[in-house]
Amino acid sequence: MPKLTIDNLEVTVPEGTNVLEAARELDIVIPHFCYHEALGAVGSCRLCAMMFVDGPVTGLQMACMVEAQDGMVVSSTDPDAIELREHVIEWAMTNHPHDCPVCDEGGECQLQEMTVAGGHGVRRYNGKKCTFTNQDLGPFVQQEMNRCITCYRCVRTYRDYCGGTDYGVFGSRNRIQYGRFQEGTLESPFSGNIIDACPTGVLTSKPFRFKTRLWDLQEAPSICPHCSLGCATIPGGRYREVQRVKAGINRETHGFFICDRGRFGYDHVNHQERPRQARVDGQPVAVAAALTAARERVAGMAREHGPNSIAFLGSSRASFEGSVLLRDWAAATGSQQLVYEAHQGRDHAARTLAARLGEHGRSLEDLRQSDLIVLFGADPLAEGPMLALAIRQAVRNGGKVIVIDPRPVELPCAASHLPLAMERLTDVLTALAQKDLHAFDNHEHAFLENLSEQFDSAQRPVLIGGADLLGGKGVDALCSTAAQLSSAECAVGVMTMLAGPNSYGGALLAGDGPDFDTILDAIQEGTIRALVCLESDPFREAMDPSRAQAALGHLELLVSFDATPGLAAQRADIFLPTRANAEMAGSYMNNEGRLQAFQAVIDPGLPISETGAGNHPPREFFQTTPGSAPEADWWLLAELLERDTTLAALRKTIEQSDECFVGLSAIDAESTGLRFSAQGSLPPAAEQDLLQTGVTDALKLLAITGPVGSHWLAHLSSPLAATQPKPYVVLHPEQAEKLGLSAGDRARLTTHFGHCHVVIRTDEKMVNGLILAPQLWDTALEGMVPGSMLDCQLEKEGKA
Amino acid sequence: MNEMLITLILILVKLGLIFGVVLSMAAYLVLAERKILGRMQMRYGPNRVGPGGMIQPLCDVIKLITKEDFVPARSDKWIFLFAPGLTALTALLSFAVVPFSPPLTLFGREIPMVVCDLHIGLLYLFGLSSLAVYGVVLGGWASNSKYSLLGAMRGLAQMLSYELALGLSLIPVVMTAKSFSLTEIVMAQSTWPNILQHPLAFIIFMISITAESKRTPFDMPEAENEIVAGFHTEYSGMRFGLFFVGEYINLIVIGAMTTVFFLGGWHGPFLPPVVWFIGKVLFVAFLFIWARGSMPRPRYDQLLRFGWKVLIPLALLNVVITGAIRLAMNS
Amino acid sequence: MNFWRDIKGTLQPFWITLGYLFKKPVTIQYPEEKRTPPPRYRARIVLTRNPDGSERCVACQLCSAACPVDCISMQAAEAEDGRRYAAWFRINFARCIFCGLCAEACPTMAIQTTPDYEICNRDVLKLVQEKEDLLIDGCGKDDEYNYYEHSGVGVANERGGNEDEYGPVDPKALLP
Ligand code: SF4
Ligand code: SF4
Ligand code: SF4
Ligand code: SF4
Ligand code: FES
Repeated sequence: MPKLTIDNLEVTVPEGTNVLEAARELDIVIPHFCYHEALGAVGSCRLCAMMFVDGPVTGLQMACMVEAQDGMVVSSTDPDAIELREHVIEWAMTNHPHDCPVCDEGGECQLQEMTVAGGHGVRRYNGKKCTFTNQDLGPFVQQEMNRCITCYRCVRTYRDYCGGTDYGVFGSRNRIQYGRFQEGTLESPFSGNIIDACPTGVLTSKPFRFKTRLWDLQEAPSICPHCSLGCATIPGGRYREVQRVKAGINRETHGFFICDRGRFGYDHVNHQERPRQARVDGQPVAVAAALTAARERVAGMAREHGPNSIAFLGSSRASFEGSVLLRDWAAATGSQQLVYEAHQGRDHAARTLAARLGEHGRSLEDLRQSDLIVLFGADPLAEGPMLALAIRQAVRNGGKVIVIDPRPVELPCAASHLPLAMERLTDVLTALAQKDLHAFDNHEHAFLENLSEQFDSAQRPVLIGGADLLGGKGVDALCSTAAQLSSAECAVGVMTMLAGPNSYGGALLAGDGPDFDTILDAIQEGTIRALVCLESDPFREAMDPSRAQAALGHLELLVSFDATPGLAAQRADIFLPTRANAEMAGSYMNNEGRLQAFQAVIDPGLPISETGAGNHPPREFFQTTPGSAPEADWWLLAELLERDTTLAALRKTIEQSDECFVGLSAIDAESTGLRFSAQGSLPPAAEQDLLQTGVTDALKLLAITGPVGSHWLAHLSSPLAATQPKPYVVLHPEQAEKLGLSAGDRARLTTHFGHCHVVIRTDEKMVNGLILAPQLWDTALEGMVPGSMLDCQLEKEGKA
Repeated sequence: MNEMLITLILILVKLGLIFGVVLSMAAYLVLAERKILGRMQMRYGPNRVGPGGMIQPLCDVIKLITKEDFVPARSDKWIFLFAPGLTALTALLSFAVVPFSPPLTLFGREIPMVVCDLHIGLLYLFGLSSLAVYGVVLGGWASNSKYSLLGAMRGLAQMLSYELALGLSLIPVVMTAKSFSLTEIVMAQSTWPNILQHPLAFIIFMISITAESKRTPFDMPEAENEIVAGFHTEYSGMRFGLFFVGEYINLIVIGAMTTVFFLGGWHGPFLPPVVWFIGKVLFVAFLFIWARGSMPRPRYDQLLRFGWKVLIPLALLNVVITGAIRLAMNS
Repeated sequence: MNFWRDIKGTLQPFWITLGYLFKKPVTIQYPEEKRTPPPRYRARIVLTRNPDGSERCVACQLCSAACPVDCISMQAAEAEDGRRYAAWFRINFARCIFCGLCAEACPTMAIQTTPDYEICNRDVLKLVQEKEDLLIDGCGKDDEYNYYEHSGVGVANERGGNEDEYGPVDPKALLP
């Protein structure tokens, strides 16, 4: 641990820290542009000059490029260093257009700050400035090249860190242009990060364009609600709407960057059709009245038909605290019908994981340090894009990635891929665990042999699974394999992509209760007469939505708590509006069992852009904010159960009643979260095994998660609408040929949902004999819940 | 029986008369003060309602009556409500003993032009002025506010201190008239007004009565720029109005006292005695307004020091000297 | 001697105030007599236009940031030609303290204070003024400045067409 002196203050820092970071430890901020903790130092901006007075290195040096060493004496206030910084910033400003008033960076511009910090106050250069032509970089990123100071941060973020290939730097001397070779949409699903990375107003957010200055934004640390990884975000809201999301920092999980789904998927909070009014039997009522109605009718139902006539359905979207209270409500009612996921496969996967993960749990940070990553039925870009970025960092650190999947899994890094039918994934896992590969032939055998060998030499291997494809059995096999492959020297890690931000939390609470398909059966039989949905929409999320819709028709009472315009919310007899994640405080438990708290960014209310219809806000005074009825899910349930309705008190009671959650009341939104040792229970055995669907002659269609914008919350977010592709299916080229189709053809897809028009895509990295169709909302593919296998027909309709 | 009834009726008539005259005078004194101060500062003063602003007092009353009567939280409610009345009441009661004209002979009856000619009139006045302290102290204390309490404490100390000098300054006057009755005192000045006989006593009297009545330059209990509005900070509406009106009735009382004790009461050539009396009262009131327009406020400690270290010894000296002279003249 | 000085100091003011009592007051009788304040007086706030008649305000929110009482609110928007402008702009004159900091902060000379001080109203909502009420047909105190003639975003002129700019560079050029 080197000890050095900076500005007469002594500081001891870990080995390998650079002097710029060491100074930051002492709260001495040296102006800098090109250095970024995640991107590393390149010493290109020349702004971080410090004078090294004594020690192993002397003279004027770039602080970011010098590793801290024992005995260094450094001064940040040396006149030479100050003068150099002043000149550097002056050079950077010579061609700058000085158009802060119309620049979206204004107010949070590092260039402004560094210009002031660098001491450049008066412009001396009177020559002409050079200008650039901008490129249209697609729906997310707005470019204004004139403002560039050529710090390379965007390129290092986009290409090096995120693995994008279509953005770079062109030209020489003062003609340096950053952008794509040809104008067009940025392809990387992490493109938004260059907005955060760019220290100037060259790259700004297009959906947020001209909306708000930083000083008017309400911001608070939050957790992304879009996938089960639980990345830290900082949403910003103003005028009663969430207007943007910035990446938060959590070194244990996602690091410094987030994916485009999280960054641009905030708009579901402001969705026009979002139900904001409590209802009982279709009549708008006050929240208190609806709560009373819910409490009384559920109690009445329990009295009349027994407690087990009521089923409680939580969701991966609900906060952890709300989920606990749902369990308490079920317990208070006496009902055993409690489940936290309508999708059977995901439910089983999550519960199995919660029961078996234990010591095998790995965080994204562990993953970045891993040297062997094997993905079984996990498609990171679809199920949790930041996982892909973590995998990429592992590869950059020298790790290997192996994908075993029926789908053509795209990763922003090199990976070897073995296409394998969905039902064989478990076989592979068992075979690997037992080191018995005789069941596999030819290239599969060779591939797995190789993989098995790599396991032997790996130090920190991690197995990654996906809930959609693996289901409960698969996750069980994954955990068993990890356990069997682990040795004293080398523990094999496991990470599984689950459905949503609190899937793991729900799984812990669900215990060994029935799964939702069992409940659906009971509803159809008439033994279950009432259903309480907490932020879940079984009509759309259950494995087979049409079956769910049929069964739910038999219900006598449907109670729904929701913040989105789902079908359950529309059809509910009693509806209670909840707050969206950005509007409340609470916590989520991510897929490694890490509980992370989030804070409220804004209060709910009809956005001013809506009440004013684009023009100025209405010229009248309201006693209450219009549309402000929604309350946090835990608040509503605490009120319903007549508990203390403050979050702190709630967390205290949870701690007291469940010993495994001790520490809950101490978590705060700025921390890296807390992993509990709590262990869940395995789900009841499924009657029908997901992975062994009957083999018929019909074409098999596997519904998969679509690209970035195709999750429910993302679908409700207008900035992501542009990423929504036209309905398509993916086939192996050989199979396409067999069907007389080729890439780009238009075809008609028929399933038991009906038919729709799709575009054919082919990919030879996928398994032959399967048709992949992404779930795409608002299209005819809407009903295809990821992970479900259907029979289908495909007829050609037209040529490319 | 008959006699008593007539006396009673007469007293009531005089009472009504004085009430009316004093109250409307007080109201217009407010206007006069604002206009005179305005002119002294090269402004107009109120001139918007009625010709030359003549209806202003009425408007003020309407405004004060229609304003919210605010009672601060955690104040001592009943005392808070009652204190302003005490101030106005003591001021009004003082008038009972002030003679404003020589006895009038009407239908063969001699009617004394005073509500009640007590032969201890002077002591009665002192008694009332001591009571007036209560209005200030109770109001300030009951308000439950720092500023009010500070104002009340200042008022208490100031009024108690200067009452002493006030009393001492009047002893020579009593010596001359050989009576405590105000009518007698006026009678005794038929040739020479006391101001000429006792100039030092007059000066001491004027200074201490200013302090006693909390008027500028001795308005520490309500010094706006130090303690907001002193003891009546928390008052609003007509309750504030009562404090306010009390202050101006007090001004008239002071005018009347000065007139009676030093300016020869109703005595004066040519004009009827009542006119002389009122004229002198108004002149004294003007003096007070004038002083308000001209003098800055001293510091609070200066005020008390001046009272105890200068005024009281001086007044004592004056008593001794006057006594000595009278003794010498008599013997 | 000090004593006499004090006596004089006490009595002299009486003489002076008495003198003033007979002088003509200097008061201006407001509704009947009006006074024109100097041009830099800080009263009613207006939004001015560029010399070419376009709106000056670029909705940069600097005025609302500078305003100590937060009485300015606005929403920026983008026009067809890339111009940033205020979709709506509201000043609540019931709150404004006429400090002029907004005009001080404005980088485009758009928001300016004027000597028109007669804006009282009994209806508070009438004091909440929108862009339509605030925008005047003129340049106010500066009749030359046009922000977009100087900023590099290419709205008033083509990109690179401003006086102090080169035309856009060609990044693919190979010359040194
Ligand atoms: S990048 Fe920064 S300095 Fe440049 S115009 Fe934008 S806000 Fe101003
Ligand atoms: S675009 Fe931004 S991040 Fe990229 S080089 Fe220019 S200033 Fe740096
Ligand atoms: S004058 Fe002052 S208070 Fe009024 S709008 Fe401008 S900055 Fe705000
Ligand atoms: S400072 Fe000027 S340009 Fe900016 S929003 Fe205010 S008025 Fe408009
Ligand atoms: S930060 Fe060190 S050279 Fe840029």
